[in-house]
Amino acid sequence: MKLLVARRSDAILLGVMLFVMAGLWMVPIISALNRSLVFNGTDNYVKILTEPTAGVTIYQTYLNSSIIAAGHAFLVVTVSSLAGFAFSKLWLPGMNWLYYVVVVCLAVPATAVIVPLFHTLKSLGLLDSYWAVILPETALTLPFGVLLMRNYFDSLPNDYMEAAMIDGASIRQVFRFVYLPMARPAAINLGVLCVMWSFQDFLLPLLFITKPELTTASMAVSTFKQYLSFTPDNIGKYNASLVLLAIPALILVIAGQRFIRQGLTSGGIKE
Amino acid sequence: MALTRQGRRSGRPGVRAALVFLIPLAVFYGTFYLYSFWFLISTSFLKTDITQSNSTFVGLQNYELVLSHDLFWTALFNTFAFSIVAIIAGLTIAFFLAVVLATRPRGSRFLYAIFLLPSLMPMSLVASVFAVMLESRFGFVNEGLRAIGLGGLAQRWLVDPTLAWGSVAMIFVYVIGLPIMYYTADLATMNVSLIEAAVVDGAGARQLLRFILYPALSGARRTIMTAVPLMGFRAFEIVFLSTGGGPAGRTEIAGTYLYTFATSGTNVGYVSAASVIVLAIALLIAILQLHRQHRADRRAAQ
Repeated sequence: MKLLVARRSDAILLGVMLFVMAGLWMVPIISALNRSLVFNGTDNYVKILTEPTAGVTIYQTYLNSSIIAAGHAFLVVTVSSLAGFAFSKLWLPGMNWLYYVVVVCLAVPATAVIVPLFHTLKSLGLLDSYWAVILPETALTLPFGVLLMRNYFDSLPNDYMEAAMIDGASIRQVFRFVYLPMARPAAINLGVLCVMWSFQDFLLPLLFITKPELTTASMAVSTFKQYLSFTPDNIGKYNASLVLLAIPALILVIAGQRFIRQGLTSGGIKE
Repeated sequence: MALTRQGRRSGRPGVRAALVFLIPLAVFYGTFYLYSFWFLISTSFLKTDITQSNSTFVGLQNYELVLSHDLFWTALFNTFAFSIVAIIAGLTIAFFLAVVLATRPRGSRFLYAIFLLPSLMPMSLVASVFAVMLESRFGFVNEGLRAIGLGGLAQRWLVDPTLAWGSVAMIFVYVIGLPIMYYTADLATMNVSLIEAAVVDGAGARQLLRFILYPALSGARRTIMTAVPLMGFRAFEIVFLSTGGGPAGRTEIAGTYLYTFATSGTNVGYVSAASVIVLAIALLIAILQLHRQHRADRRAAQ
């Protein structure tokens, strides 16, 4: 790719354009960092880190997001592995048709099912608990999970299936000891993506969690804003909280970037 | 083990195992999708409140009300318009950035981070940062303009009807990481000999971009055009936390429209009818895309 800038004039022109765009893209980041220090300097950070905001400490929001993310990732990976295996290696009348019905639900926006979700969670007695977020989140991620796992199982040969069956292994054993271990890379990619999406999810915790102590990091941007209102004095604190709320997601994304990239580019969309 | 005829022919074992493996999926789909769809469709014909204690059957009245509400059409229009903004940014800016970053300029790791990380952050956070940055009295942008003596350019970015639309569109452009990722993945598997030959023939950067790289990256381009159209339906946080759909519904999208009516809880039948329409549109888009992809796969297999 170096060849693209074989000419010196091209290298300079492209370099300048890249530099300008990087500058523009950094404006929001600089804004948050700069505003987080206004009026009270680093005291803004100390306040957010040591005192509860809107009835919850910032550490508790990290913990809540992590618990929900772990539950969400575990359920999606488990259910998608089983279903992806079935869609790829087992047979049922109308299986392909069923698979398309499952995958089409990728398009269902969470905002369109708010009211029925509320009813379901209420009648299950799950409102205002971690489950109220974990379960609908799982349902909404499953279409992607099944797509990713089935594509991966499709890339594994069917021969193992026949060989193991001839040796007298049950389908359950073939799955557990042959295919599942081979599908580990895809399962890890999916798990990391689930954790990331959980940290991003804003709507479901906003709707189904009202107890302050269950506030998640992504919904705190809104609850903190209402609590801190727009007085000059609070703007610094609010921006400091935005910077601090970004940290867990940032660590996750940097640590898991390889899996996120693989999951989003190779597995998700079939080429 | 009883193998069905079809199963034996394709070497795939039978029905019972498939059913067992699909049970957990069926439980989730039944509880959250099927029940939700059934609830929305049946409630859309009722006039009822959130407790559903006092419902009357009103036929298609809710649909008529939704379809005659101007704001609903604005919301649908904006949902698509913002998606199109995101696609255009993906096909141009992301294409350019991915290609230039692939030349590995100095500091390219840092630059990748600047362009990619915001897209992987919670959208609620990104939208909130934009909201405080563009706030008219104390926001970074206006204060910055005043500080360098350009206070005359300070604007009410999120309140002025025209500027608010542009400000929201800007957030859609800002989260450009996914298209960059698709292009970068495509570039990594590209055949370099074409570029080498073109350079030997005296091609400059502009010709390489136009005649070699643009056609060669059609895979990523297709992926972006498939993956991004539904973005508008999912971008609830972007609008909700920046303008809240305002001013006067100017930046309303389907997500914020449904949220407003669902949480105000006046007539649940009305929200359900609106949800059914939005769901039908989103599902239709997905079905058309799957259909196209299916045809393309078949053609590739031949």
